[in-house]
Amino acid sequence: MSLYEWDLVMPARWVGAANYRALVSTEFWEVVTNTVKYSVGVVVLSQTLGLGLAVLLNDRTRLGALLQASIFSSYVVSWVAVSLLWIWLLDPQYGLVAYLLRLVGLRGVNWLGDHRWALWTLVLVTVWKTVGYPMVIYLAGLQAIPGDLYEAAALDGAGGWQRFRHITWPLLTPTTLFLMVTLTITSFQGFDIVKIMTQGGPVTATMIYVYYIYEQAFQYFKLGKASAAVVLFFIGIVALTFAQWLAFRRRVHYTT
Amino acid sequence: MRHALAVLMIAGFLGTAWGAAGPAAAQGPVVAQFWYSFGGTNREVTEAHIKRFNESQSKYKIEGTFQGDYFEALAKIRAAAATKTAPAAFHVIGEAIPQLAASGLFESLEPYAKGANGANLEDYLPGQTQHTYFDYLGKPAAPLMALPFFRSTPILYYNADMLSAKGVKVPATWAELRDAAAKLTVREGSETKTYGFEVPVDWWFWYALLHEAGGSLLTPDGKKAAFRDKGTEALQFWVDLVNKDKTMKRPPGKDYNAWTVTNTDFINGRAAMIFTSTAFLNYMTENAKFKLGTAFLPGKVKQAVPTGGTFFVIARDAPPAQKEAGWAFIKWMTEPAQTISLSKATGYMPIRASAVNSPEMQAFYKQNPNYKTAIDQLRTAQRFPYTPALIEIQREVIQPNLEAAVLGIKTAAEIMQAAEAKANEILAKQQ
Repeated sequence: MSLYEWDLVMPARWVGAANYRALVSTEFWEVVTNTVKYSVGVVVLSQTLGLGLAVLLNDRTRLGALLQASIFSSYVVSWVAVSLLWIWLLDPQYGLVAYLLRLVGLRGVNWLGDHRWALWTLVLVTVWKTVGYPMVIYLAGLQAIPGDLYEAAALDGAGGWQRFRHITWPLLTPTTLFLMVTLTITSFQGFDIVKIMTQGGPVTATMIYVYYIYEQAFQYFKLGKASAAVVLFFIGIVALTFAQWLAFRRRVHYTT
Repeated sequence: MRHALAVLMIAGFLGTAWGAAGPAAAQGPVVAQFWYSFGGTNREVTEAHIKRFNESQSKYKIEGTFQGDYFEALAKIRAAAATKTAPAAFHVIGEAIPQLAASGLFESLEPYAKGANGANLEDYLPGQTQHTYFDYLGKPAAPLMALPFFRSTPILYYNADMLSAKGVKVPATWAELRDAAAKLTVREGSETKTYGFEVPVDWWFWYALLHEAGGSLLTPDGKKAAFRDKGTEALQFWVDLVNKDKTMKRPPGKDYNAWTVTNTDFINGRAAMIFTSTAFLNYMTENAKFKLGTAFLPGKVKQAVPTGGTFFVIARDAPPAQKEAGWAFIKWMTEPAQTISLSKATGYMPIRASAVNSPEMQAFYKQNPNYKTAIDQLRTAQRFPYTPALIEIQREVIQPNLEAAVLGIKTAAEIMQAAEAKANEILAKQQ
């Protein structure tokens, strides 16, 4: 399919590598950059926050369980609902966020309408929605760490931060690697949030990969070009996953 | 025992399959699909009329399905055409007709119009029909493929209470619009509470401004782009209103998302004047808590508007019985009685001269003068060039790039220059 030009109505026409050439000479690189920015933002922020929340809420109290559940609840709600909700919260004229900022004397920005901020706004909304996932995975990881390691460290006089740095963090590295890989792959597949909130705009500020494929295929009817983009996407993700694994496998510690 | 159960189940499945494929449902009306793209009020009106058609005769039964907005529906039509499951009847925006016609998607309506259940094409209003929508660029007219469905022009909606409170006259020129917007904008500190003016930064309105500035999209033979200078002037007008005067709000969102924001802002009193389609007139009249006024779009060198809305078409690949059903439906929908009730319920224009001149409509217009604006404005309607490149120029060259000027990312001149080059590229491929 990527070697043809097809608009769904006329029969497909062989064009060889023309679609690939067309891709690399247009806004394709901006799309890739946007996707990488979005992914890095989401992965770094949600993993860090997820870890922090897991450490904070790693107790067996009922309040802890309640907080864990409420944080995780946004993960299971539909993207469409979350996107619509945040469109209203972020409205620069009548949104709640703008209102709260005005209360403390700050002026909000046009979160979704300013091409400098739009992508980061999407990152923040995505993190808000998905932070429950790394939190829950880290919680499982934390609970797998044998408690006697902490006791031994405490007996040797290690403080909270040292215990984290020398016990918790190294023993969480398998979890961290797992989350890094899965969150990267999931963030690369971001679509719903763009479709509902910005449709790739303003201009191409929030045009991320999967939405770009959708637009080429179903708005511009360039199925060949869209297929070429899909092929490149597949190659890119496989390569990235392999690279991540290579880079970190030596830093991963297992308790056995 | 389990073996026997399995055999029984298989027999049961086979039985039902055989039973269903048995005597074909040849009795009863011919069922045909009609795909439409309206939500909200206009969807209810469409569905009500489908029901009325089905009840008015027993030969055909039309089933209507909502398919998303015009552009989403276009994608679905193409996908359906590829699998030969296109609906018998659907509607498309005018700009898409040349390209879809070139792809062989449409059934020619000429034999139907002249046939037994024919249509009185003379009675259709000039400006509404396929032949008056398009400029055939000196070439022979394309065959009749489309009947007007819901047709519209952009109009100026204004909050009459706000205008009279500030003593502002309804603007008739660009300069007056600029003044009026400045007077009507209300600011509180750094926050703009009310914008004087709002309009989606969108192809349709740009097309109006282009012609109001005295320009045109293509050369008379349709071979080259001609919009660079006047197109820049048009775009620059918006750029100045948004960034210099700060009296116009650019509604966020692509395509119809921005239109929805514009309507909502106007209803909520956040914008004093807007341009949008007469199609929303009913919605505005019902929801505005202020006195609603409508007027022609302000002109510059002249007054000019594009027409919009959609045309009924029939899919060439549908089975003949369904095509006949589709034709009966669309012909019925364009009859004076229906076009009157459709227009009164929505704000779209009636498409028949006899409908406009009927006592019913004349009385209605006396009572609801806002509904007359679009019909009166029809005399300033501009045609679209009949070329398959038209929809590409709209969707790929103009529509996605207008925003960048208003956001200050590129200048209007740069955008129009790049657009002209790209449009010429597309046109060259057509030759």
